[in-house]
This record gives sequence, C-alpha cells and structure tokens, in this order.
Amino acid sequence: MGAGEYWNPKTETLGRDELAALQLAKLRRLCEWAAARSPFYQRSFKEAGFAPEQLRSLDDLRRLPLLTREEWMASQGEQPPFGLLPVAGREAAIRWHTTSGTTGREPIRVLDTAKDWAWQAEMWCYGLWGFGVRPADTAYVAFGYGSFIGFWGLHYGLEKLGALNVPGGAQPTEGRVKQIVDFGATVVASTPTYALRLAQEAERLGIDLAASPVERLILSGEPAGSIPQTKALIERLWGAKAGDTAGMTEIGTIMVFECRHQPGGTHIIEDHYIEEVVDPGSGEPVGYGEAGERVVTSFGRGIIPLLRYRTADLVTKVPASRCACGRGFDLYEGGILGRVDDMKLVRGTNVYPRAVEGIVREFDGIEEFQLLLTREGHFDRIALRVEPAPATSEEAWTEMAGKLAKALAEAHEGLRFEVERAEAGELPRFELKARRTVDRRDTPIGG
Amino acid sequence: MATDLLGRPTTEVEDELLELYRRAKALLARDDLAPCARAGARVAAVGLWNAVNDLGLEYEQLLDLGA
Repeated sequence: MGAGEYWNPKTETLGRDELAALQLAKLRRLCEWAAARSPFYQRSFKEAGFAPEQLRSLDDLRRLPLLTREEWMASQGEQPPFGLLPVAGREAAIRWHTTSGTTGREPIRVLDTAKDWAWQAEMWCYGLWGFGVRPADTAYVAFGYGSFIGFWGLHYGLEKLGALNVPGGAQPTEGRVKQIVDFGATVVASTPTYALRLAQEAERLGIDLAASPVERLILSGEPAGSIPQTKALIERLWGAKAGDTAGMTEIGTIMVFECRHQPGGTHIIEDHYIEEVVDPGSGEPVGYGEAGERVVTSFGRGIIPLLRYRTADLVTKVPASRCACGRGFDLYEGGILGRVDDMKLVRGTNVYPRAVEGIVREFDGIEEFQLLLTREGHFDRIALRVEPAPATSEEAWTEMAGKLAKALAEAHEGLRFEVERAEAGELPRFELKARRTVDRRDTPIGG
Repeated sequence: MATDLLGRPTTEVEDELLELYRRAKALLARDDLAPCARAGARVAAVGLWNAVNDLGLEYEQLLDLGA
C-alpha cells in the first residue's frame, strides 16, 4: 500500500503495541492536564482515588471513572453555562457550539480554543483522505452551518487538504441540487437521509445525478451510512461511492471513518482516541466481535478534557486486519449500530430501528417512512407509515405493503407490523439527524 | 538524539518540524507582538502543533499561549 493511501502514514500504519504505547504517553499527559486544571476531574479523580502517576499501562485506564452525559448535564446545572469540565472560561475560546437537540433534551454546550478547532479539521482530514478525497476535488457541503457542530470540521478539513470547498449553506434542497450540478462537484457531504432527499429532488427536477461528476459522498450524522441497504440505495441513485463517518459534539469532530476499501466498517482514529467497548449494564469490557457501548477518551479538545465518556452508541469492534488497507486502526463493524437504548420491545419481540430501515430500503419508490408505536389498553401496536412516490398506484401500493409486512414479520419472529400509506409530503423530512421512530406508549420497552 | 513519544529517534524532517514548532511557541509567548503578528504566529503554532501531534513527536496543550 503506497504512502499516498494515508493522511498520516507514520501513525496510521503503527502496529498494535506501538499504537498502545503512543496512546499511553498521551493519556498520561491528558490526565495530568485534567487533574491540574479541570474542577470536574479534580473532584472525580479524588472520589475514585485516582492519580495520573498510577497509569503504568493502558489497562490502568480502567482506574479512571466513567463519565456519563447525565453527569455532564448536572455539571452544567451546577455551574452554567458550560459546567465544571472545562479548564478555562469562554474568554479562552474561539467557538461555542451545542449538541443538535434532536433528542429534545437540554443541549450540551461546548467550547473550543484555536488549537482545538484546528484539530477537529485535522480529524476530518484523516477520513476525507482515507476515502479518496484529494486536492483536485470540488466538494459540496450540504449543511446549514449553525450552532450544531455537524459538518463544520469537514468544511475546514476540506480547505486544509486543499480541495475546492463549496459551502451549501441554508437554502432549499432544489437550490442545492442545482449547485451540485452547476459547480461540477465531485464530492458531496451530507447526512444519509439528506443524500436520499437530494436524490429525490434531483429526480423531480429531471436531473440524473448518476451522470453528474459526483464520485464520492461523505456521510455522517446517522448510523444509516453503514446500513448496507441504505448505502447501496444512495450509491445507486448517485452513481457514486458513499463513505461513512461518525462523530459527536462532545469531542467536536469525527472519531471513525470508512476508508476507500469499504470494508463494511469504520476505522477508529486510534492515534487520537482510545475507544473502549463495554457491556452497557456492567461497564466491563467486551471482546472483539461482541456488541457493546462505545466509551471514548479523546486527546483532542484541550479546553474540555474527555476521559472515558459513555456515548450510548452501540458498536462491535473488529481487528484492523479485517480491512486490506494496511492501517493498524481497528474498526467498528457496520459503523455505529445505533443507540444502546434504541431497541423497542413490542409484544415480547425486540425491534431495532436499524433493522427496519434495512428492510424498507430494499424497496424502490419509498420517499419517506416512520415507525409508530402506540398502546391500546395493554396491547402494543407497531405501524410502519410509508410515503411512496406520488405516482404509485393503489394496486402497486397494495402489493408493496403486503411484501413489506411479510418481510418485517419474517425478520421479527412473526410480529405483525401494520403497514399504512401516508399522504405525499405528510411525513417529516430531515436535513440533519433523522428521527423516524415515534414511541407514543406511556411506558415503553415493555414496562 | 531527540526521540518521539514512542522513544524512537526522530528523522531530519521531524527535527525541523519540532524546531519550527518551538520557535512559533516562543514567538507566541512574547508580549511585544502586534495583533496582526500575534494572530499569524498563533495560526502557525496551531498548524505545527497538529503536525507534531500527528507524528507523535509532542503532545501538550497551548491554552496558556492563547491557543
């Protein structure tokens, strides 16, 4: 594999032992920094009886307490607006961002210094370069550029690696489709849901995206970028390769990316992060190939040190050797599989929204869908509300609905899904994180 | 002989990057820079920080230098 394959050939090709040694060296310094400057960690280290000098191997990482979102939120309440995690106040920062707010909860507020902000673009460079984006590319960023951190890092990463960057900004989907074509974009960045939305709009406008110069889509913001059926649909509609990435506001940027070999998973940027996978119940580590909760330690954002943060992301880690690219970075098979609390229990059967989407995406001509859970008395109902293409006849719809209901039941131990037709334009459209599961039961998850 | 964070000897190019990084930090630490010069030095220091951090040559925070 040539050096041109990697953004950072030196560390991307380190062996596992060398990578661990590098992580340990950084971890010691990060813990010393947090112990010296962060009121939150001063308190939590003391409560846990932890001191940075106890770090003699990476196994000692488990001496550090886990950090939860709830603790972060409580800290924000204790000392508004940023809480006790930051090592400095807003006067030291050049950026203030928040989580997307799609969960309806109070957002996490984050700060970044000039160094932190530049590092976030650097992480995107690993991913962009790894998927084949080069200085000769023209990249269109279909992103509204607001207080949600989203694709901001990608924007600056594109500039850093020397590509021609076209910021899409806030405008109607029709305008974005026309710009992608008019500017001759070779790369488009968006959420998976919005990549499908752009393709639908292009079809309405009579534009054949598969015939456009677009060669690569950089997907982020939703697990769907690694759902095989969704990815295949996006690649077919665009006539381009789709590469998954994932990040989070709590670290400011991406921590995983899919390389151009498309191994069915995303590489962890392990020279900048330590990613543990633990049993969500016990917090104990799980092995390669076992699903568990992501726990991240980030060496990037210095103003808010992040040590052993429980992400609630569900992942399965597999060895680097699973991919032929030559990187020493392990992978998450299937990317981010969902959230630890995604699973819905319906009449004794587990339902995973990711699996439902995988089935829905096997059907052509579906514009949007929604999974609706309701309760009548003690009886849980699950309905798949589907918005087919407007030209779909009643006869074609009846056939499609029957096949969908059959496929869903077969994948869920015979559980009956009510498949309902929604009116054109009735279901919500999403530009950022899609929320297609609506649970209206008073006590979800079988309670 | 200088070594990286893995204890391996640094290369000639890495030595040059480290030297530039240290000079950029030293510049940022001065109190007689014009705003335009400080802003430029900060961009340089941050850019070099990313390079030496990526290459495993140095890992530290720049907060006290205003970055």
